This record gives sequence, structure tokens and C-alpha cells, in this order.
Amino acid sequence: MEYALGLSGTQAFLMTITIAITVLGLVGLALALFMEKRWRPTYNFEYLFIAGLLVMAFYGDWASTSIYKAYQEDLRASEKVSGKFVEDADRDKKFDRILTVVAFQWGFAFITEEKEMSRNAAVVKPGERVLFKVVTNDVIHGFNIPASGITAEIDPGDVRELWIRAPGKPGKYLIQCVNYCGIGHAQMKAWLVVEGDAPTAQLNGGETANGA
Amino acid sequence: MAHELDFQRTGAKPHWKPEDIIGTISLKTLFFSDDYRHIALKGILSAFVMLALGGAFALVFRTELAVPGAQFLGARVYMTLMTMHGMLMVFGFLIPLTISVCYYMMPKVLGLERLAATRAAHWSYWILIGAVVLLVIGRPDFTWTAYAPMSLRVGGGLVWMGHLAILLVAISEFLAGIVLTLTALAGVKAGGGWKTLPMMGWASAIVGLLLIIATIPLGFIGLGLFTDWMEMTAWFDPARGGSVKFFLYVFWTYGHPAVYLPFIPAIAILYTLMPRLLGRPMWSYWSGVVAFVLLGLFAMPIGPHHFQPLYTISGWYERMVQIFTLLVFIPSVLHVFNWIATLWSDPIPASARASIPFKFMIASIAFVIYGGATAYVNGQIATDSDFIHNTYWIPAHFHAMFFGFAGQMAFAGFYYLYPYFTGRMYNQRMASSHFWLWQIGLFTKITMMFVAGYAYFPRWVYDYLPLKEWVMPQMMITASGFLIGLGFLIFVINVAWSARRGEPAPEEPWPVEHDEAAPSAVPAE
Repeated sequence: MEYALGLSGTQAFLMTITIAITVLGLVGLALALFMEKRWRPTYNFEYLFIAGLLVMAFYGDWASTSIYKAYQEDLRASEKVSGKFVEDADRDKKFDRILTVVAFQWGFAFITEEKEMSRNAAVVKPGERVLFKVVTNDVIHGFNIPASGITAEIDPGDVRELWIRAPGKPGKYLIQCVNYCGIGHAQMKAWLVVEGDAPTAQLNGGETANGA
Repeated sequence: MAHELDFQRTGAKPHWKPEDIIGTISLKTLFFSDDYRHIALKGILSAFVMLALGGAFALVFRTELAVPGAQFLGARVYMTLMTMHGMLMVFGFLIPLTISVCYYMMPKVLGLERLAATRAAHWSYWILIGAVVLLVIGRPDFTWTAYAPMSLRVGGGLVWMGHLAILLVAISEFLAGIVLTLTALAGVKAGGGWKTLPMMGWASAIVGLLLIIATIPLGFIGLGLFTDWMEMTAWFDPARGGSVKFFLYVFWTYGHPAVYLPFIPAIAILYTLMPRLLGRPMWSYWSGVVAFVLLGLFAMPIGPHHFQPLYTISGWYERMVQIFTLLVFIPSVLHVFNWIATLWSDPIPASARASIPFKFMIASIAFVIYGGATAYVNGQIATDSDFIHNTYWIPAHFHAMFFGFAGQMAFAGFYYLYPYFTGRMYNQRMASSHFWLWQIGLFTKITMMFVAGYAYFPRWVYDYLPLKEWVMPQMMITASGFLIGLGFLIFVINVAWSARRGEPAPEEPWPVEHDEAAPSAVPAE
């Protein structure tokens, strides 16, 4: 599965760093408690530690920024530009499908290029590059597609664009709001329908727990 | 030399004596006395009431969430319970408890006879009680972040009480900030300067300043929401010309420093307990001071990382926020490094190993490592725009930091102080079961929240799909929630029972005793 932000490789590495720090810290604590040998670290040791952290922080900043920049360049939005859609016909040609999304209390409406509207289902073909143009006019909403690993949020009155590559396997994939937007928030979800026959609800192309 | 200096800094000298304060107290003294111990005790006791309330609410909605689909709570009741849980836990339990434990320790540690600005401390307490009463009557359902314009369009005619409660919380915390700052300054004067100021003094000065600065925007949020609701103003509602972006920036100017408000006092409690339980100074005094100052400085500008996936923030400003967020790692790690280095430097006394405060302290350090490490991916825009933003990953992170670290550290402080205000020791076995129930419950709960979050389980839903990745973690979180509740019940019974029937505390409740087999703990000079 291709992740929209192309995170799978780097993300795995960042998660490895996170787990490594956790284990390092916990092992250090356990050793300090249970080892017979006593040892007084010097200040130099601490400076070394800080140097390592600085490298880590700047690597994190670099990794995150380059991934995000690359993603934004695909949108031809080198920066996040608030308040207007990118008008670029060449850019639009690179996408197989463009859907305008209206997020509202409480649901998503998808409008195709042919001006057909569907409530709560975005119908796409396997492997397509899909551009979403998201707007909202009531409160802050979220737009999250777990199968594509992308989350966006939208202020009322704002517009923003994001893109995904549709999953290769046909099925129904969840689209959900991730920002509390009022009493109907839990029901604010839609389906990314990748055409083909697979009737079950899928998060990452998996099966449901009860098989329903 | 360094040794003596540090005992001055950690406050070995002034009036630490077990006394039965709680048995001889009248309600009038408890509520209106200017004695720092009474002020602290009333804060601690009402924080426990808030914890019980907030915890009970959590157990109700956790039961609802145990299995997919809607069971017995509607969306509105669920969200009300969730909002009250968040607000009571942070504003009613965590910040007041950590600060009250500091109130109790500060005069002892800084060598003072009383808290500075006791009148402000009283007002801070009563205004907070007022805020809680408003919350309970108003039953808002807009979550603790009260995002406009959603928080202006939620159900119920009494929602304005929630807005006013936010204003009152801001005033209450502002006053607490004044008490902490002035007491720290009095400590500087009494002790002979900043260079010998105990760690708790540094922490109080910094968290006091944070409170004073950060609560001003929060007060504006509360007042602005209230007047917007009354249609006197239109600060935040875009339908009437207000700005959501403005709301977000103002709110998170408080909202991020807010997480340091219990965090820094909890660290201060740790710095106070550790040298006293181990019977030797911390590994480094200045490393801790530098870390406190950096933590205070970095806390202010990084609020916008809470809304990175919005177009509200962009460009170099967003990148700067990301860099500072990643750099906050450094002061936090300096503290943890200091604690582990102290533990490692000399043999750990057998007396410390057996004591409950020490156990809670070690568990807190483990949780701050566990929850803190994930901050590395949380801070990055790319990962944040994937599985982190507003999924259960975030509650996992802040339950580890808030409850696993700050809350448990405050409990360590409470167990430590227990003989000083009851004249008796707690029951060791009950305290041990409390400890283990909490560690097992918290670890399971937090881990399962991480698992659910990694599978994109969204926050603030009472009803969810029966997806394989979601069902098991949710059930486990609920089960561990009940373990934590059971632990708290045992704690309450222990505290109430031991205050009357517990063994009388010795003159020195926390003597430092080594195993005979262990090598000498006196550092070679």
C-alpha cells in the first residue's frame, strides 16, 4: 500500500528511534536499580548525550520537512496556502480523479468533476491518484483516511487540498472526522469505495472482527 | 562541601516532624486557616474528590466503549462525561494536587514559616471550587479545548456556565502562580540567593511565572466565549465575523504551557524526595536548574504544534514550532538523566527500596520515559499528519505524562507527607497493592491506547465500528481502567483507616538505612 505522505520507510525508522530511546531509558533505569556495580557519570557523558539528542532533533526536523515538502510539491503548493485552491491545469492533469469534499455537521459530501454528488461515499478505482479539495463552512472538521495514512483539518471558511493514491485492493475504506465537531462527531464518517466486490468494512484492507 | 550545600538545597533542616494535624483539625481551620499545612491539605483533599469524580465519569464511559456500537450512553451524555473527565482531571485534580503538595513542602524546604500571599491561595482555592460547581451544573459537552465555533453551538441552555468556568479556572491558576512565585522569592531571600535555592524554589519560580503569563489568554478565551454566547461580541464565530484562527492561537498560548503546569511541580517533588530517600545529593544541581529554565522558555512558543494539520499554520513559522518542539526533548532528558545518574552513583538504601514513595517515584520515571519518547514522532509535521493527530495516540501520550508521571509523582509526595500530617504511617500492604494495581492498570491502558491510536482510532467517539484493530484494545483499556479504580479505592481506605489506626510514625519517618552487605554509601572525595 502506498501511503500518501510516503512515510512507510522513514516512518518505520522514526518509530524505531522512538522505541530505541524508550528501551534505552528503561534499561538505564533498571540497571541503576539492580546492578551491583555503581558508577557516577561525568558531565562529559551528559554533553555527549545532549549532542546525540541535537542530532536526533535536527534529523527529525529534516525528515519531516522533506517528506511534507515533497507531498506539497505534488499539490504544486510549495507552502500551505490558506483560503484558496491552487489553479493549475497541468497539476490537475496529473491526478486521475478530482473530488470536491464538503465536510459538514455531520458527514462528508463528495462532488465529482461531472458535478455528481454523493453523501458519504467517494468512489474511485484501484491505484488511482485522487485529489481532494476539502471545504467546510460550520465548525473545524478533520479528514482522515487511515488506509492512506493522511490526516487534514479544515477551519470553517477555509479550503485545502490533499491527495492520496487509492488502495490497490477493491473494498470499502474508512474516511473519518478526527476533530470533535459536535454531538454527531462519532457518526461523521464516509467510505472510500474502491470499485470491485468486497463488502466488508476495512481499515487497512483487513477483515472485521466479527466477520460481518 | 557540595554535600552540605545540597542538604541546604534539599531542605533537610527546618521543621520536618510528624504531627497529628488531621486528627485535631476543625472544618473552620481546614478551610480558613492561614497555616500553609492547612491550605495545602484542603487543596490535596479536594483534589482527591475531583479525582474520584473524574475517575468515576471515566469508568462510566469506558464501560460504554468496552464493545463497539452504542450501548447505554447517548452522544450527548458521553461527551458531557468526557468533557467533565478532562476538565476535572486537569484543572481540578492534577494541577491543584501537584501545586498543593508543593505548597506543603515549600516552606519546609525553603526554610520559611509560611506561604507568601496566603490570601491569594485561599481565593485561588475557592474560585476553583466555584468553577467546578459551574461545570457540574452547566454540564458542557465541548471537550476541554472548547474549540470555537463548535463550543458556541452545542446543546443545552446552560453551556455559558462552561465558558464562565474556564474564566474562573484562569483566575484561580493566576492566583496560584502569584503564591508560587512570591514564595520562591521569599525562599531566595531567606536562603541567601539563587545559587543556594533548593530545586523546588527554582521550579516554583518558573511554574509560577508560567501560570501568571499563560492564564491571561485562557481568561480571555473564557470571557470571549461567554460574551460570544451572549451575542455581545463576535470574537470567535466566523458566521458573525469572528476568527477561528484567532481562537486557536490564543487558546494554545495557554494550552501548551498548561501541560507544564502539573509537570514542573511534579519534577520539583521528585527533586525533593529523591535526595531525602537516598540520603545523598542529586547527581547535579545546575543541570537540573538549567533544565527547569529551558523547559519554561521552550514551553511558551510551541502551542501551535497542537493544530499542525490545519492550514492555520504554515511556512517558516510552522517549521520553527516543529524545531522548538523537538528541542523540548533536551531539558526533559536532562532531568531524567539527572535522576538516573543519581540512582546509579551510589548503592540504593534498603530503606528506600522498601518505601512506597520511592516505588511511585521509580514508576513515574519509567512512565515519563515511556510517554516522553513518543514526543519525538508527535512533534513532526509528517508523522503528525498521519496516525497521530487526534487519534488515541495522543491520549496515550498525555495519560503517560499526566497520570503515569505527574499524577503518580504527586501521590509519591502525598505518601511521603502522610506521616507528617497524621502522625501515623500508612498500611504498607494496602499501599503496595495500590501501587501494583496502578502500574499494571496504567501500563496496559497506555499501551493499548498507543495500539488503538496507531490503528487510527479517533478521539471523542462513543460509538465505533467493529474493526479487528480496534475491538481488543478498547476492551483492554476498559478493563485496566477498572484496575486503576480498584487501586484508588484501596488508597482511599488505606488513607482513612491509617489516619486513625495506623502505626504511630517514628520521630524520623524516613530514616536512610543501608543493607549491611552493601558497600559504603559515602562518596569518595
